[in-house]
Amino acid sequence: PPDGGWGWAVVFGASISIGFAFTFPKAFTIYFKEIQAVFSISYSQIAWTTSIMCATTYGGGPISSILVNRYGSRPVVMFGGLLCGVGMISAAFCTSILQLYICVGFITGFGLALNLQPSVIIVGKYFLKRRPIANGLAMAGSPVMLCTLAPLNQFLFENFGWRGSFLILGAILLNCCVAGALFRPIGARPAPVKALVTEEGKDALKSKITEDGPMESKPEGEGGKDCFEKINHYLDFSLFKHRGFLIYLIGNVLMFLGFFAPIVFLAPYAKHTGIDEYSAAFLLSILALVDMVARPTTGIIANSRWVRPRIQYFFSFAIAFNGACHLLCPLASSYTGLVVYSSFFGLAFGMVCAMLFETLMDLVGAARFTSAVGLVTIAECCTILLGPPMGGILIDTFGDYKYMFIKCGTVMVLAGTFLFIMNYYNYRMLAKEEKERKTKEEDPKSVRTEDEGKKNWNKDSTQDGPELEPLREKGEEVKKETNG
Amino acid sequence: LLIGVSGAPLEKHVPVPSPTKVELTCKLDDNSNLKDAQVTWKKGNETISHTSKTPNSWTIQLTVSDHSQLGNYTCILKGEKEISAVFHLEVPRIEGKEKPVITYEGDRAVMVCKTEYNAKAWMWYMTNGTELVPIDKILHTDKFQIKRQSASVNRLEILKLTQEDAGVYWCKAAFDLGTSKRRFELRVLSVAAPLKPFIAVVAEVAILVTTIIFYEVYSKRKQKRGEKEFDQTEQL
Repeated sequence: PPDGGWGWAVVFGASISIGFAFTFPKAFTIYFKEIQAVFSISYSQIAWTTSIMCATTYGGGPISSILVNRYGSRPVVMFGGLLCGVGMISAAFCTSILQLYICVGFITGFGLALNLQPSVIIVGKYFLKRRPIANGLAMAGSPVMLCTLAPLNQFLFENFGWRGSFLILGAILLNCCVAGALFRPIGARPAPVKALVTEEGKDALKSKITEDGPMESKPEGEGGKDCFEKINHYLDFSLFKHRGFLIYLIGNVLMFLGFFAPIVFLAPYAKHTGIDEYSAAFLLSILALVDMVARPTTGIIANSRWVRPRIQYFFSFAIAFNGACHLLCPLASSYTGLVVYSSFFGLAFGMVCAMLFETLMDLVGAARFTSAVGLVTIAECCTILLGPPMGGILIDTFGDYKYMFIKCGTVMVLAGTFLFIMNYYNYRMLAKEEKERKTKEEDPKSVRTEDEGKKNWNKDSTQDGPELEPLREKGEEVKKETNG
Repeated sequence: LLIGVSGAPLEKHVPVPSPTKVELTCKLDDNSNLKDAQVTWKKGNETISHTSKTPNSWTIQLTVSDHSQLGNYTCILKGEKEISAVFHLEVPRIEGKEKPVITYEGDRAVMVCKTEYNAKAWMWYMTNGTELVPIDKILHTDKFQIKRQSASVNRLEILKLTQEDAGVYWCKAAFDLGTSKRRFELRVLSVAAPLKPFIAVVAEVAILVTTIIFYEVYSKRKQKRGEKEFDQTEQL
């Protein structure tokens, strides 16, 4: 992979795309009050719009992955951008809340799903050595977009009312197509693919051909396959046997239970302790600013020689740190205390987000990342949606916000510890398998490990060979150190 | 009840929806050094005598039975410095949208008035120049709809908007002791208004996408030309 050059343009496009996908639901809440008044509905009814949007964005992950496996990132993102635009433009003409659910919730949500996954995938295709930095920068798009979208939404709303704002937002979302245009396909070389036939099954081979760029050589006898094999061809379900993938999945699903709730309730909590509305909103701005700086910085740290081989530990530490912040929050009762909490929360949040996809890429390898990200997002979908309402129930039952913070903190510390222990175990197993592989000096069997992913990269990008070798060897050295 | 804090001016709004007995207390913060201070309660220029007094607090009791008893009641503390705190006894306020309501031609405008306490009656007015013209919903049911969502929430809907409907509207809530009102500004935009920024953004997107694709095609052609030359030199 190029690890630079046009890659940085791709990172820029990805940050725009990811930014829209993550921040649009949050920025949309400005319109709630007005729409509530116009359609005479309750708060929970209008809140369903963003819930549907989030659910579709994460739930559409596997479909996104399948489409990227088939067509490559670029067409999918451009189509996603179009879909978002169409969704919001049609929302401007809605006359009922149900129509809003469909236009804003489903259509725009699905368009955002088609934006999010391919952007993350293509960053993984363009970078290897500098991938953590690239990921950190791409994810930094989210807070930047939030800082611009929120005031922009306010401005649009005050000048054009909600209908006009939706129309203009639809046009703004079309910028995702611009981001998509930057995603120049980086193709697989057809020749080295033959060498892979003996390693993984024929299914994996075909998913490799169809993964990057247009289909030049159609796989034979596709019509003869049965339905299950066909699905496996587009979405790699064998990932569920991958140890690293399962660890990541369980840890992340657990983490997301407590991830978003504190942000949702930070401003209400501040108002509850007597702080005025503008200062409470300012807390969120502090969070976003720190987040903005934290993400690329984490990327740079994660890329360094010392951290990269042990990036999973760094990730678990970031999650546990996040949890610790939440556990300490109830102790902060004054405004300065909350400011300190917001800054640390912003830092921790940025650290986790920057490495969210990087660690997954690290575990399953760039080849299978496409399917992995789709499967992970649909699993996370449930807990992401459950998190804030659970926090809300805790707040309503006890009338005190501290139980929500305690719950989020505990969940995240647990997730962090779980990931730490399991990854320690995983690293040891990987080192063991590496040793076995080296002593046997033959192709590995069906054990899918990170090494195998890297080896595949070795084979299908032969001109980058010398670059990868030092990286792999360094990795092995560190693993031997941790073992010995 | 007001707790004394030095520096900021002290004010409190006390909504009084119906005739009732009200107790106002000025309390001195325990940490303050102002001891043996003199406190007087005043309404305007009239002094009111205390009903009860403790070393740190001074209380008056009032029976509010009609509009004249509403107003500003001040407790003045004369010590080293003179500190005063004001209680505004008034009819309950109406909450509603402060910023202008923006709608489009042919669309529906909604204005909602909400109070903390149940109002006895609601009235809506539109302005004709400087005059307040009451909106008679019975007369124009296809244009104006006034919906009573509860005793404390009232809503005016204006259908089939035109440019002439733009202007200032008032909602009035009547309580036992008086009325309070709220002002709404309605702006009716034409459909073309948001189209200008919309088209501008779409044009920007189209230009960027075409530029990026052209640049890509151009650089690919350059690469191919370079490769062809390379092949030719090899053949030689």
